[in-house]
Amino acid sequence: MTKFFVSMMLILSFNLMAQTVPNPGAMTRSLVGIRYFNQMMGNVHQNASRFSQVLTTISCNHPVKIMKQTSKDGKDFAMAGDNDWYMVTVGPYDGFIMADYLSDKKNVCFEEEHSKFFDGLNLDINDLYYWARLYDQYVQGKSKVRQ
Amino acid sequence: MKILFILIALFSINISAAEEVKEVVKDPGSDLLDFSSIKDIIKTDGLEGELKKKETEKRVLLDKKKLTDMKRYNIPAQSEFWSMFSELWLVKNAPLLKWDFHKPEFDLEKSFISLLEAQGHYEKKIKILLLDTTEVIHAALPSNDDEFIFVLSLPFIRTLDLSKVEISLILFEDFIRARKGYFKNYVQSNELESYLGTNFAGKPFNKKLIADHLKKYNKVLMEKGFSFQEQFETTTEMDSLLKSDLKLWNTYISLLEKIDNLTKTNTLYKKYSQIYPSPELQLNWLKPKPSRF
Repeated sequence: MTKFFVSMMLILSFNLMAQTVPNPGAMTRSLVGIRYFNQMMGNVHQNASRFSQVLTTISCNHPVKIMKQTSKDGKDFAMAGDNDWYMVTVGPYDGFIMADYLSDKKNVCFEEEHSKFFDGLNLDINDLYYWARLYDQYVQGKSKVRQ
Repeated sequence: MKILFILIALFSINISAAEEVKEVVKDPGSDLLDFSSIKDIIKTDGLEGELKKKETEKRVLLDKKKLTDMKRYNIPAQSEFWSMFSELWLVKNAPLLKWDFHKPEFDLEKSFISLLEAQGHYEKKIKILLLDTTEVIHAALPSNDDEFIFVLSLPFIRTLDLSKVEISLILFEDFIRARKGYFKNYVQSNELESYLGTNFAGKPFNKKLIADHLKKYNKVLMEKGFSFQEQFETTTEMDSLLKSDLKLWNTYISLLEKIDNLTKTNTLYKKYSQIYPSPELQLNWLKPKPSRF
């Protein structure tokens, strides 16, 4: 009985230590700022890839927390991929959004400007899913300003 | 004697009571305020003005609220309608067009933007969507000003083993068609034109109009296609734009030869010549005219 009690105590103390002692390899995550989603619909991805798992879907002007991770040697990382993805927190989800789809300021959004027209289109959940996927699948660009 | 004394006493009490009543009736009249004498003072104390100001503020606030509510029923104008409408078509036809699939990064946008810049087209926003089908081969969908939405079949690119320059030339041809407004003109109608930019507050939303015009996209891209005249105009414009760079012009010719061969040999692409009439004709139009000398 005593042996069982001692082993239980050991397991418990080990678990507590594991929870309280920080992992030396772990990174700390902190808030950099707020940005706003600037497309009609879009997805927050688990990884910095347009084909990675979708955590949640957001619509235009949704505020997004831009996060950075600081490594143990003090280096900060806020971007991922080829610096074209932001590390973000949206509600309970920690994920990634394409940098081009985020703006510093609030945007003029079609569905806000023409809310009743947009409602009239009667988009179902399937349509909204595809609309968000559309912005994952597009390859976009802009020709430069005339010199 | 005693009775007489009592009667006199009663009579005198009545008279005094009557006089008191007279006084009471008289009093209120004499105590009423004469407002006409203080009318000017009331006018100058600014209370009337304050009341009017409050009423105006309330009216403005109500009007503003009413206007905000009305604005929610605004129908987008032409300048903001087309990109949304083309995307709606893409969303509604996603299972048919099969654009939601995993594909490698081809960097097509970079090579196409280089071509646009080389041709002097600056500040043009482009969106390219690859399709995993041959139902629609390539097209530039109607969009807002200075924005272009392209769809392009990946099986088509792979079958012809097209280079990035060749793909850019196909997109550039669609870019010219879009600038000339051929596709938009097919979809557009007087009814839609007069509906856009208006307000539908108090009226039902015209679902049928939207649905009917979405169907026109399918009609153009899968059945009707572009006319010979439009193809001729597009091809001759390509000819004049690319001639300054002979290497590019030759790539365009070889691209049309490849497409011509494909449409004649592969049944999957037979419809292509119906949508874009026709690669063979385009080659004829591009053939240098024999010199008179």
